[in-house]
This record gives sequence, C-alpha cells and structure tokens, in this order.
Amino acid sequence: MKKFALAGNPNCGKTTLFNLLTGSTAYVGNWPGVTVDKREGTYKKGIEPVDIIDLPGIYSLSPYTPEEVISRRYILEEKPDCVINIVDATNLERNLYLTTQIMEIDVPMIVALNMMDAVEKNGDKINPKMLEEKLGVPVVAISALKGEGIKELMDRAIKTSKSPRKGRTVLQDSAIAHLIGDVAIALEAQGVEAPLFHAVKLSELDEIEVRMHPELVKMVDAFKATFSDDTFGTDFEAVVADARYQYISKNYTSALSKKERKALTKSDKADRVLTNKWAGIPIFLVILFAIFHLTFSEGFLFSDLWGLPTLEDLGLLTEEGEPIHFGVALLACIYDGAIFSPGCIINNLWNDVIVGNVFGWIRAGIELIPSDWVVAFLSDGILEALAAVLSFLPQILVLFLFFSILEDSGYMARVAFILDRIFRKFGLSGRAFMPMIMGFGCSIPAMINTRTLADEKERTATVRVIPFFSCGAKLPILTAIAGGTLAFFGVGGVDLITYLMYIGGIATAILAVIVMRGTTMKGDVPPFIMELPAYHAPRFSSLMIHLWDKTKHFVKKAFTIILASTVVIWFLSSFGWQFWNGMVEDMDASILASIGKALQWLFTPLGFGAQLNSFGWVFAVAVITGLIAKENVICTFASLASAVVVSGAVAPDILAELEAIAEGSEAAWTMIAATGVTVPALIAFILFNMTTIPCFAACATAKAELPKGKFWKTLVFWVATSYATGIVFYLGGLLAQAIWGVSTVAIVMGVVFAILMGAILTAGVMGIARLTDKKKAVA
Amino acid sequence: MQWYEILVIALAVLFVGGVIGKAIRDKMHGKSGCDCSSCCGNCSDCKKKK
Repeated sequence: MKKFALAGNPNCGKTTLFNLLTGSTAYVGNWPGVTVDKREGTYKKGIEPVDIIDLPGIYSLSPYTPEEVISRRYILEEKPDCVINIVDATNLERNLYLTTQIMEIDVPMIVALNMMDAVEKNGDKINPKMLEEKLGVPVVAISALKGEGIKELMDRAIKTSKSPRKGRTVLQDSAIAHLIGDVAIALEAQGVEAPLFHAVKLSELDEIEVRMHPELVKMVDAFKATFSDDTFGTDFEAVVADARYQYISKNYTSALSKKERKALTKSDKADRVLTNKWAGIPIFLVILFAIFHLTFSEGFLFSDLWGLPTLEDLGLLTEEGEPIHFGVALLACIYDGAIFSPGCIINNLWNDVIVGNVFGWIRAGIELIPSDWVVAFLSDGILEALAAVLSFLPQILVLFLFFSILEDSGYMARVAFILDRIFRKFGLSGRAFMPMIMGFGCSIPAMINTRTLADEKERTATVRVIPFFSCGAKLPILTAIAGGTLAFFGVGGVDLITYLMYIGGIATAILAVIVMRGTTMKGDVPPFIMELPAYHAPRFSSLMIHLWDKTKHFVKKAFTIILASTVVIWFLSSFGWQFWNGMVEDMDASILASIGKALQWLFTPLGFGAQLNSFGWVFAVAVITGLIAKENVICTFASLASAVVVSGAVAPDILAELEAIAEGSEAAWTMIAATGVTVPALIAFILFNMTTIPCFAACATAKAELPKGKFWKTLVFWVATSYATGIVFYLGGLLAQAIWGVSTVAIVMGVVFAILMGAILTAGVMGIARLTDKKKAVA
Repeated sequence: MQWYEILVIALAVLFVGGVIGKAIRDKMHGKSGCDCSSCCGNCSDCKKKK
C-alpha cells in the first residue's frame, strides 16, 4: 500500500485533513503543537487505498525540536510515496519556508493550499496555478475544515506518487550556492540518498549532518574561511534562511494578491483586550467562573438569592414531597426556588428521567432474586456505585463542551500566552502550559505532549504538575463532595467550590514550579514564540468529536476498571479476614475496615483521619481506591453508603433528609452525616485527591515520559505536595471557620488564606535556596 | 448455595480477572499490537519499536 505523509507548519490543519481522509477522530486543537508524534490511518475513498501518516507540525527540517526530528527522520528514512505539504494559505510566506526545504528532498510532493475559504473571506486571492508553475510541484487549493478540494488533492497525490522527483533548491542564486553544489556532488559520490537536502543542511552545519558526514565538514570550514556576509558574517544557517525568504518573497508571493485592510483585524482588536497585560488574567478567571456557574450552579444568575418560591410553596408537591404530576416533575428539573443552570438542568433530566428510572427497573428486577447477599451485592454494591459515577456524566460533558469551545475558538492559545508571563518568571515557558491545559481533560495525553519540551528539567517539572490540573475523572469527587457539603451544611455551592478547587490546583502547580525551578531543577527558560491562531467560531463536528471521545472513554472506564474495583470493594467490605466463615454482619469488622483503620491516622492532620466518628476510615479507603481510577473515590462512598445507613450511623431525623438529596451527592451526604467530617476537612479531602498520586494509567505514562530515576522521586513529590496542600487548606479552613463560622464566606476565605500561606511557604523555601546559593558562591 | 449464587460469584471473578488480565495484556503489547499512532501507553512493543 502506498504511504503518504502529511507535513506542514503547526496549526495549519494537518490533523483536520488527516481525520477527513481517514475517518479518524484524532484530537484536533486550535493551538500549535497538539500532535507530538506521527499517527497513521488509511484513506479508502480513492482509486487505491493509501496509508496516511500525520506528522507533527514543524517550521523547518532543522533538528531543534523533537517534532522536527520525527518529521525529518520519517520523510528521509521511511521514504513515503508522496509528501502532502499542507500550507496555511492565510500565512503563505512563512509556510512556504518549510515547502522550500521539503522540495530539496528526492521525494514526490504536492502542496495542499489549506484554509482557502479563510483567504477568500479576508478578501485576498491566491492563484494556485501560478504558484504551481513557480514551485514546480502540483498545488491544489483545499479547505480541510469544509472538506473542499479533498478528492482532487488525493487524486493528484496518487498520480504524483507514480513518478520519482529529484530534489531542487531555491538557493541556486545564494551566496553559498557553490558550497552546496560541491557538497552535494561529494555526497552523491558516496551514494547518499537525497544529496541536495543533506548538502544544504551540512552547509548550515546542522548537528545531525555533522555527525553523519564528519569528513565533509572540512569542506564547509574551508569555504567559511574565505566567506563573509555583510549582515550574517559566517553564520550559514542565517544566510540560508535569509536566502529562502528572499526567494519566496521575490518569486512566490506574486501568486498572492492581498486586499488592503485596516491596521487591526477583529482578532487583533479582541486580543488587545483578552491578552492585555493587566486585564488578561482577571478576564480568564471570570470566564472560568462563568463556565462553572453555567455547568454546576443550582442558582443560575444567583437566582437562589432572589427569594423565589419553591415548588412546595406553590403547592406543586404531594405531602410525601413528590411532584403532583409529570409536568411538575419536569419543572423540578429546571426550577425549585431558583432557576438551575443549563448544566444542572441536563444533569437533573438525565438523573431523574434516565438513570433514576432505568436503574430503578434494574433494581426491581434484582430484588426478585431470593438471596439477600446477591441482592445486596448487585443492588447496593454495584448498581449504586455505577449510578453515582454515571450521574455526573452530563455535567462532565457540559464542562468539556465549554472547554472545547474555548479551545476551538483560539482562546486557550491566548491563555497560554497570558500565563507565559507568569510562568516565565518562575522558570517555565508558555509552551509548558499547553500540556497543562490538556491536563484538564486527561493527564495521559498531556504528559505525552510534554515531549515537545526540549529542556529535560522543564519537562520533568511539567509532568509533575500536570495532575494538579483537575482532569475529568476528578470531577465526580469535586461535584459530589461540593453537592454533599451544600446539602448537609447549607453552605458553598457546587459551582463555587469546583471553581475554587480548579484555581487551587493551578495555584499549587505554580507554587510547585517555583520551588522546583528555584531549587533542584534550575535552568534557563527556553524562548517561547507562539503563533496565535485567528479567532474563529468553533466547529460543531469538532466539538462533537471531543464530546464523543470523552463519553466513550468515561463509559468504557465505568463498565471496566470502575466496575471491577466495585466488585473488589464490595467483597472486602462484606468479608472479614476469615472470609471462609461467611459475610460479616457489621462492616466495621470487614477486611476493608481494618485496612482503612490502619491507614486512617495518616489523614488526621488533614481533618479526615482518626478524629472522625464511626466509618471515618471510608475516607482513607477512598483515597487508596482512587489510585486505581479517581472516579473510584465516589464509587467507594456509594458502594458503602447502604451499609453505613443500615448500621444506624446516621441519626434517623437527619436520615429523613436523604430523600431530597440529588443523585450522585447522596453517597457523599451519607458519609458526611455518619462521620461528622467538617467543611474544612472536606475541602482538604478534595484537594488531597486532586494533587496526590494520579491514577495508575497516568503513573505508567509518567514513568515512561520522565527521565530515568525521576519517577520514584516524582511519586514522593506528589505525596508530599498533596499532604502539604491538604494540611494548609485544612488549617486555613479551620481559621476561616473560627472567624466566619460555617459559611460560604469561610470557604472562600479559607481557600484564599491557604493560597497565601502556600505562597509565603514557597517564598521561604526560595529564600533559603538563594541563601544557600550565595554561601556556595562565597565558598 | 444456589446455582444463581454460584453463577454470580463465577461471573464476578471472571470479570475482575478479565479486566486485570486485559490491563496487563494492553501494557505488554499495546491495544492491538503496537499502537504508537495514537495515545500510546508505552507498551513493550512500542518501546522496542522506538
């Protein structure tokens, strides 16, 4: 089967084209550097099937970044039958720089002029035929976004692949053309393939070529001794780059006619505000809060403060508190004393109409089985746990829909730009923030994305802080505990607590980076040049692909790892160490309880340890099961909640309120009621889980991505950070509670106080590190 | 013990064993052989290939 490689600049639409050609759903992000490794698929719609290889985005074929090395090696060593060079037509000159380099390799190539729709929209014009004549390779105008010109591109690519192509260079008139010619002849005599490309690179004293052909370096050095450019001296790399751009500007850009426009585009105007030095971060924080408010708030637009009547006040509920008819049941999903946010409405409909009914029917079926333990196992153990996890699915999807909109519109790239200013001061470039943003989705691809960071220390520091950017699996912990806190104590709010925890995670990451880069991982910050993509309306198909991927992953995980964990948790909570004696009557005598009790003291400084009432050990067990998959934390609560209720640990008068608790938060509410855990301890519990060792899969990825010997230290770092974060937030919360009582203000102030305390501690560590450095310097 | 109780136990054991077995298999050999093209779990096959 023929092999075609897709090569082009970052964010020029390679992966969009790849998905279109192969029917894949590879991750497409509107920022440069999403693809860090090559990926493969098959194009089956043409005359013959073709293997398509999506190479990471590159600006040149010089080995400065891992992406450039991967792409260069693939084109030179794997010898694809054709290179499809995707060119962002809105940025022709810069994109053709790479084209002129690929042209030097002896490989059939075709240029795909992508984003032609955007060129037309801007009022500009490009003449593909003229460009084709000038380049000497086929040029096809396409729009990968709209699927235009794809068939013509592939038909011509297949045709092009049938005849070999000899490399040609645009440097024939440059000052070092003679040197390139001589080196190429020498390489050809040695039987080197693609001699022209290697000759150009060797003339630039490219490190790979110098290593491969040390005998020819003398030839370059000899030429250098007789050469001097007025502007660039003997820097041949600069001479070549300048010659390429001059040639492009002189010969190719005549194919482009630009419409005269005002100095600032709409994107530029938006950027003046959104990336403003002072307003950029506050705007980001407001947007983030708006997202959490739209997703989780049970008082949309703060309608819970408007004093609206509840359904009970309106006489729409029966004496048992049930809706008087189906219409009211639907209304209850939207309004009950306050208007619910869109995310909440979707979640209520999902839980009340789908999860509630479907799981209710399954439960009714299970209860027909004439065996108490089978009913308890299937109904209270497995079904409750699955219902608890699945109940969060809609809100997770709504949250990711908003994140995808921000990303697809181009705003997330701006966030990296804004945060570069902060991170740079503390030793990380904005490039490192890209994987961190990906960490909001899942830590695994985020850690893999750190391959684009060339500096090993920067990469290690980034991998270590990625888990602090709360992933989708941690959302059930946040929402369930926040929901339970609101329901039991009547303080906080799911949107507010979730938002604060995300901010807390980011703050922890920043503080951890400061400490690492200021002590054990000192190093220069690599320069960060990022091209900001133009803002555009998010594409529906792209958003749906993101959501579909998320749903697939979540459901698959729920019915495999989480379900298997639930079975094990139920077994351990139902049997004692002498399990052959049968099930234990009291869960406190189970294997799980003994494990939990043995570990419980560890969490006493964080507020959810030995100070709790009976069943307090469940928190310790949840932390451990969360290491398998973070959703397991809430699964553990849900699996054990029935046994806790049966044991009488929750006072009957309080238990009556359980009926009114939303699905998903019930388990957290039960544990709060049974254990007597406080609000600061609950916040510390969330933060501990957010910053501690991530799930096994993420640990395996971290082990593979980190340099040798760093993984075990990283595990210690995660445990130490989570422990310190948990203690700081617990103490901050206790102090705030002492001042403001059990209130929403106390939660907010506790978090603010804890971040300040963390900053002071960090400043202390940095001060000690500087003093030690000074002493060493003096010595 | 009734037949359905034995069935539930057998299914539970098989399921848990299957999930753990599959996780080990995936770790050793990738999802379906080497799957470096997408989100690679750094399986042994991939490491060899790299």
